[in-house]
Amino acid sequence: MITGDSHQQIIPPTRTHVKAGFVVYSPVTHSRNIIILDEGELAAIERNNGIKSTVFKMHPGDLIGVASLLEHEDFRYAIEATQDSTITVVTEECMESELKTLPVWMLAVIKSLSSKTRKLKEALHHTRCQNTLKSLAEYCSHLQAKVEYPLEDFLREYQWITKISKATVLEDIKALARRKFLVLTEGGEATTLRIVNPLLLQIYVDYQNAVEKNVSWAPFTLSLNQKRLLVYLSSIDQNEKKDAPDWIATFMAQKFKADVSEWIHMLQLGWFKAINENAFAPNTDKIKYFLAALRYETNIRGVL
Amino acid sequence: MTTKLSSGEYLCLEGDKASTLYIVKSGMLVGTSKLAPDAPLQNFGPGSIIGEFGLLESAPRELTLRAAEETEVLEIDQNTLNATLEKRPSWLKSILTFLTARNRIAQENKRKNDLIQALPSLLYIFSVYLKETGSDTMPLPMLHGKILALNNTPAEETDLLLESLQKLGLLKVIGEHNADKAVRAESLQIIPLLYETLRYRALNQKVSPNILSMTEQMVLSTFVKIVRETKVPEQNGLCTITTEQLKAEAKRSMHGLTLTSRTIAPLVEKKLLEPSSAFDIHAPLESIDFFFADFEKILDLIELNRIFPLLDKQLV
Repeated sequence: MITGDSHQQIIPPTRTHVKAGFVVYSPVTHSRNIIILDEGELAAIERNNGIKSTVFKMHPGDLIGVASLLEHEDFRYAIEATQDSTITVVTEECMESELKTLPVWMLAVIKSLSSKTRKLKEALHHTRCQNTLKSLAEYCSHLQAKVEYPLEDFLREYQWITKISKATVLEDIKALARRKFLVLTEGGEATTLRIVNPLLLQIYVDYQNAVEKNVSWAPFTLSLNQKRLLVYLSSIDQNEKKDAPDWIATFMAQKFKADVSEWIHMLQLGWFKAINENAFAPNTDKIKYFLAALRYETNIRGVL
Repeated sequence: MTTKLSSGEYLCLEGDKASTLYIVKSGMLVGTSKLAPDAPLQNFGPGSIIGEFGLLESAPRELTLRAAEETEVLEIDQNTLNATLEKRPSWLKSILTFLTARNRIAQENKRKNDLIQALPSLLYIFSVYLKETGSDTMPLPMLHGKILALNNTPAEETDLLLESLQKLGLLKVIGEHNADKAVRAESLQIIPLLYETLRYRALNQKVSPNILSMTEQMVLSTFVKIVRETKVPEQNGLCTITTEQLKAEAKRSMHGLTLTSRTIAPLVEKKLLEPSSAFDIHAPLESIDFFFADFEKILDLIELNRIFPLLDKQLV
């Protein structure tokens, strides 16, 4: 078995009898001890503007000060004996000497529990977002184009939703501005932010999702023939309805390479919507989406 | 006890009964969980310890662990733990119990905090969708995706939130299969109204004007009752009732309370009730012939005030 240094001398804890009313621990002293109640009763006391109130009572077997000793966390209550009691005090030195003789795995368990708890507590104050740029793009994609949003108001609302730090949000705003997705008009307290085109921000979020999942993103995988088909589709009447063979015939008449597999691919990309069982019409929104993605490819990829 | 694993070999499965601690001596273990299928893989290299709660509390495995390469793992079972603790002072066991309980509490607090923190994201995304499309129903996969992008809230947490909001009668999750499921708002206004109310409270550190006093709520409920019972017709979304009707109904339904200009004043100030002529708080209420109001807006406000005090409790 792996153990620590068993030759280390152990400093024993101190067992003490205290009278009712004795202050076992005061937050003013900042001493870091674990106090174990063996017999009697202790109470955690809080004083607010001179008014004394009992926060909780301790019964035999209870202990306090573990977080204070192991993690240097402040313990803000005073501990008083409410009746004659017997306590065991484990001092920092005593704990240290005991820990040094523990098997390494047990020491690791104590450290791991302690560190996991600390991380959980710290996480309460931090954002959960890992891709903060994507988060900002998602938020901005629902704002209106060409409206001047006061930056301070914008920051307050967005930070309330996401808990992302102000410095990070400002960096991300600049990153989106460099991509020409939004415009920041500097003016001190009157600085404003304007969305150029919400669709571009939505496209950017979708692109980021694909990058994170390490999958190819449809708009950037189109062949030259498919790109030309897309441009052609954007020029025809959105109310035009035809069945699949008629659409294929139309494309072939326009000298495009078009067959059943190409047609199925276009359906999968969402370029057409079914009007009824046999008729299809161009899906204008999807076509605009693909065209915008292709037109602003460098902005989206961030390779300006 | 030391266990040797070949690359790709499983050490344990998520949900398995557990009573041992693993310490990676060499190699690499990869952990996955069905609860977070989209989460990045967790890697455990030499020195990593896994399964403290299995050892201390016999808690089931939280992860499926698989060797990413030739891996050597040291296993510590509960017999070893007990034998070690027997040779130690009794307070050491108390400390271990305390640390475990404290971690459980921290986990629970984090879970509650995440849920509360995700609410504004959900309300924001749902509100803007309702406004942008004019539809009262949003596809659930789309909602999941957008909240994940905005706040990194996993779908399981979004579903828990939706369940809570459904219990409050704010929305309904419809459809049977995951891909076809959708979220339908009970009214187009109530979700944006709730978002705005929470936003106002968070950003201004004070109660939103949308949150009404008991008296204000009772007066508005009386207004609604009169409109419904007398079938007052709506004109451009506005309903009109006479001051006489309002006073009489208030006496019946508000436990004999006599309506005065002072009682009505806050509602006039908030433009929830519009008087037929200039309103003077010192003049008798009878000096106003009738009041009119946006009926749908009043219904939404009453609903908001019903659910608002229940929200925190319902969420956690």
